[in-house]
Amino acid sequence: MAHSGDPHDGLEAVFLANRNKLLRFLVARGAGEDAEDILQDVWLRISRVEAGPVGSPLAYLYRVANAAMIDRYRSARQADLRDSAWVEGHSGANIGVSDSPSADRVVAGRQLAARVEEVLAPLPPRAVAIFRRSRIDGIAQRLIAEEFGVSVSTVESDLRQVYRVLIELRERLDEV
Amino acid sequence: MAVDQQILDEAAMWAVRTSEPDFDDWAAFTDWLEVSAAHAEAYDRATIAVEEGAEALASLPANDPDWPDEDWDGDRDEGRSPRRWLAPALAACLALVAALWLWPAGDADTTYRTAAGEMRTIALGDGSAVVLAGSTELVIDGDSDRQARLNSGRAVFEIRHDEADPFLLAVGDATLLDAGTVFEVTIRDAAVAVGVAEGAVIYEPDGSAARIDPGQVLSFDRGAGAYRMESVPVDQVGEWREGRLTFRNAPLADVADDLSQATGIAYRVAEAGEARSISGSVAIDPLRRDPGALGPLLGIDVRRDDDVWILGGR
Repeated sequence: MAHSGDPHDGLEAVFLANRNKLLRFLVARGAGEDAEDILQDVWLRISRVEAGPVGSPLAYLYRVANAAMIDRYRSARQADLRDSAWVEGHSGANIGVSDSPSADRVVAGRQLAARVEEVLAPLPPRAVAIFRRSRIDGIAQRLIAEEFGVSVSTVESDLRQVYRVLIELRERLDEV
Repeated sequence: MAVDQQILDEAAMWAVRTSEPDFDDWAAFTDWLEVSAAHAEAYDRATIAVEEGAEALASLPANDPDWPDEDWDGDRDEGRSPRRWLAPALAACLALVAALWLWPAGDADTTYRTAAGEMRTIALGDGSAVVLAGSTELVIDGDSDRQARLNSGRAVFEIRHDEADPFLLAVGDATLLDAGTVFEVTIRDAAVAVGVAEGAVIYEPDGSAARIDPGQVLSFDRGAGAYRMESVPVDQVGEWREGRLTFRNAPLADVADDLSQATGIAYRVAEAGEARSISGSVAIDPLRRDPGALGPLLGIDVRRDDDVWILGGR
C-alpha cells in the first residue's frame, strides 16, 4: 500500500485538537444546538471510511462538516417543498424535489434547464464555459485558468458571475 | 423573501471558494458566517442554487464536449488559445497515415488474461516487466518479447530500452513505441489513454509521432485518428499498482469500471448518476472489505443491490 500506519490516527489527533474550532464552525454554519451531534456524525462518517492519508487533515474535516450541513439543508428544503406541493396540490413549483414522481421530475427538470439556459444566455460565453468546466466537469480552478489562458482570479470572478445569476434565478423561482 | 444583495454577492463568493477541493481558509469563512445568521442561510441557498443550476445545465444537449460555446468571442486575458481536441484537419491527416507496423499473427503468441480484482506481473525475457490490472488481456508476440498487443483493460509497462530493438505495443490500430520507459495504457471501450511515468513513449511513430513525456497522458480513440494530451501528476501514472485510484473529472461509469476492475466487486452506475463526473482518490484495499465506503470518500450515493453496488444517486 502507498501509506504506512493507520491514517485515522493522524486524522483523529487533528480532529480532537480542533474540536472546538469545528464546533464553532458548525454553530456559525447554522447548526445551533445540534452542532455536537452533527460533529459526532461527521466523525463517524470519516472513521467508517478507511481512507488513505489526507493531505490537509484540518481542511478535510472542515470540508466534511460543511458537506454535512449542505446535506442537512438540502433534505430540509426537499421536505418543505414536498409538504407545500402536497398541501397546495400544484406541480409547477416543486422543481428540484428529487423524490417526486419521475414524470413530473422530468418535466420540472426540463423547465429548470430552459430557465437556466435563458438566464445564462446574456453572460459572456467564457464565463459559462468556465462554469461548465468547474461544476460539471469538476476541474480545479487553477487548471481551468491554465486551460483558458487566464488568471485564477479571472476564473473566480467568472464563476461568481454565473453563481450570482443562478442564485437570483433560484430566489425568483422560490418566490412564485 | 427580501434578500440583501450584498449578502448574495458574498455568499456567491464563498460558494465559489469553498467548492474548490483545496480550499483551506475555513477560519475566514467561519468569521464571515459569524457576522450574521443570514450568512449561513444565504450560503446554503447559494450552494443548492448552483448545484441545481449545474445539474440543469448538464442536462442540456451537449455541444462540443470540450468547448461548449461555439460563438466564442475571443474575450480573453491573453491571446493564447485554449487546449482542445485536435482540429478536424489534423485528424483527417492522421487517418491517412496507415499503420506501417502490423501485428504479426503467429501461433506462438502468448495471451495473458487477468480476472477482475486480480493483478499480475509478467516478466519479459530482457528484464522488462508488464503489470496487468484486473480484467486485462495482453498478447506477447511469440517471436519477440519486444512486441505486444493490449486488447483490453489496463497495464503498466516497465521497459528496458534498446535503441536497436525498440519495444512496440499495439493498441487498436495505433502503435506505441517506447523510448526508455515506464508507461501505463488504459483501454476503456473505444478510448485509450497512455500515461508516461518515466522516459518517453512515441504515439504512432510512423504517423503523427507524438511524444509523450513523463506526467503527460495522451488519449485517443481506437477507431478515429484524433488524440489529445493532458497533464497528470507523475506519481498517479500506474498508481493502482500501489493500491490507489485517482479520478480527475471522471464520468461515474468509468469510475465504476475502474473500481470493478481493481477490486473484483461489481460496481454500476445508477441511471441518475450517468451524467456525473467526479474527482477524488481512493485506496483500493479497504473497498474490498467495505465496498460501500466509497460513498463518503467521493461524495456520492452508494447503495447495494444484491451483489452489485450502485453509484450515484445525487
